[in-house]
Amino acid sequence: MKPDLIVRTPNQRLALRLPVRAIWALVGVLVALAFVVGLSLMMGSYPLSASQVLHILWHQPADKTGTTIVWEFRFPRALVSVMVGALLGLSGATLQNVTRNPLADPSLVGVSQGAGFAVVALTILMPEMSYFYRPLFAFAGALVVAFIIQTMSTGRSGGSTMRFILTGVGVAAFISAGTSALLTYGDINRATAALGWLAGSVHASGWDDVWLTTACLLVLLPILMWASRPMAAMRMGPETATGLGVSVSLARWGLITLSVTLAAFAVAAVGPLGFVGLVAPHVTRRLTHSGVGLHLLITAGVGGLLVAVADLFGRTAFAPVQIPAGLVTAMIGVPLFVWLIVRQQARSEL
Amino acid sequence: MILRRVGEMGRFSVMAAVIALFFALHISIGAKAIPVVDVFTALIARDETVFDHIVVWDLRMPRALIAMVVGAALAVSGALMQGITRNPLADPGLLGLLAGASFAVVVGYGLWGSAIVPIMPLVAAGGALAAAALVFWIATAAPGGARPLTLILAGAAISAFLSAVIAAVQLLDQENFEQLRVWLTGTISGNRMDYMGWCLPWLGLGFLAALAVARQITSLAMGDEVAIGLGVNVAQVKVLSLVAVVSLTASAVTLSGPLGFIGLVIPHAVRLFVGTDYRFVVPYSALVGAAYLLFVDIVARVALAPIEISTGLVTSLLGAPFFVWLVRAKL
Repeated sequence: MKPDLIVRTPNQRLALRLPVRAIWALVGVLVALAFVVGLSLMMGSYPLSASQVLHILWHQPADKTGTTIVWEFRFPRALVSVMVGALLGLSGATLQNVTRNPLADPSLVGVSQGAGFAVVALTILMPEMSYFYRPLFAFAGALVVAFIIQTMSTGRSGGSTMRFILTGVGVAAFISAGTSALLTYGDINRATAALGWLAGSVHASGWDDVWLTTACLLVLLPILMWASRPMAAMRMGPETATGLGVSVSLARWGLITLSVTLAAFAVAAVGPLGFVGLVAPHVTRRLTHSGVGLHLLITAGVGGLLVAVADLFGRTAFAPVQIPAGLVTAMIGVPLFVWLIVRQQARSEL
Repeated sequence: MILRRVGEMGRFSVMAAVIALFFALHISIGAKAIPVVDVFTALIARDETVFDHIVVWDLRMPRALIAMVVGAALAVSGALMQGITRNPLADPGLLGLLAGASFAVVVGYGLWGSAIVPIMPLVAAGGALAAAALVFWIATAAPGGARPLTLILAGAAISAFLSAVIAAVQLLDQENFEQLRVWLTGTISGNRMDYMGWCLPWLGLGFLAALAVARQITSLAMGDEVAIGLGVNVAQVKVLSLVAVVSLTASAVTLSGPLGFIGLVIPHAVRLFVGTDYRFVVPYSALVGAAYLLFVDIVARVALAPIEISTGLVTSLLGAPFFVWLVRAKL
């Protein structure tokens, strides 16, 4: 491994250590992202060549149909995949750091399901105020579930990660049943609309979703970067974190809220995409070792890459049938999850 | 001794009375309310010309019977799993067996169409067995062995994976799977009575095997070493229990689709009353499971009447909070 690069100001007052490998990983992930987005602009039932896509993107419309397809369908869809993947990856990374549990994932512990339930309830019971309030409802649903799990799992003998996850599994089962009940009970047309959304599909995404998710990312990413210090301390356990001057309970609640917010916005935009929050941080950890802040940035990139690839695969592999991206991510995520259970270090708290 | 026998008889007859009561309720409640008196006349003296009698015999009776059989099968297989794995959270649904069986049925249906019906329990059993083997393999490969958490996580992972594949297969071949869609949420319906004949041998095998190993499981619950010391052939007991669990789960899935949490809730409730002796836990689980599913099926039909909720949703809505409570209380 190459030594880290250290940048100093001439008078040696300030120095910044740059982990070279991690920065290269970040650059590599971003390049791959650009490549996958480009590919998904080209591929589909109306194939376009790379030069055509470039022409269309620089507003030299030689081809009316192509312009519509790229600007109205493929581009927002690809961007939403990237953004949602980044949000979910960050959410998972935060949750894993706070609970010190490498298996924590918003879709496993019921946070995504809570957001999903709230949105389905909104779609079915109050369809007239649907779109605008979606993120708000998703956020409320996810937060309530996070609160329930957190309260239920901290019992007499203090909180334990095992209880946290098991409680989450139970709550997730309960909420999924509630969602299904709403779907059978509700008006058939609204239920069908909600059903497509529930499978975790980006196919209906438009520019609204792009702005929503981008705005969320732009607001929350700096906050996360700022919170990466307490997060790094939290990773060493509550005692050490207290010793390092972190208010543990405050940091815990703050970071969980942050994680829930990230997941809620992603779910509000495209529905619950499973296992992205689990996979992205782990892939990142395999790619490179770095501090928490840089790790978060790379995780965001990897998450975006994962969902973009999943969507591209889902819509082209069995064309004309489209497999929702959520199913593809679940099929990628589960084997990794199993591998993680098997490889789980004996020293860890599980 | 005689007193104990009398007490046992009393407990047994109370349970039988409860089942009879729910059975009568189940048959009389529905879209068309039929007075209990008419139900009885229908049962005693069947008259083909009376519409109510046809409803009772051809629609409601089969449904009630299926509910009873499925409830009993799932409860017994849950009880066995909890005993063998010494894991209070074991349940055919949570450990992935239901998902495995459903997946096998969906795949079999896609490959061979309705020709699969006679061997459906067998196909489902294959799926359940494969899923169980996978989950246990993952859990034992994990450091620390098959503890509750690793088992549940492995089960959740396998279930999530299989349901994603099922959803994808459904999307690829929508016409064929339209019929399976409702079944996959876990519904009890009288028209699955045709499958009962194909399931009966498996059910019989399962219940017999369960009763046969019940005595040894009590010693097994104290640990493998203790059981061996007490002269139990541990390997044999485990194989027989596996046969029982798989064939009961497979029959239940064939008859009603995946119904979660019954195998978790019932054995715990039963243990509160009869203690930890599996010679009692197994038969009472069967009885209480039958009564419970009759009750749940009534709730599913009347809660949002005239719309019926899938029975599987009601069992999850009732069972999941219990699971959470169990995690809080026992771990």
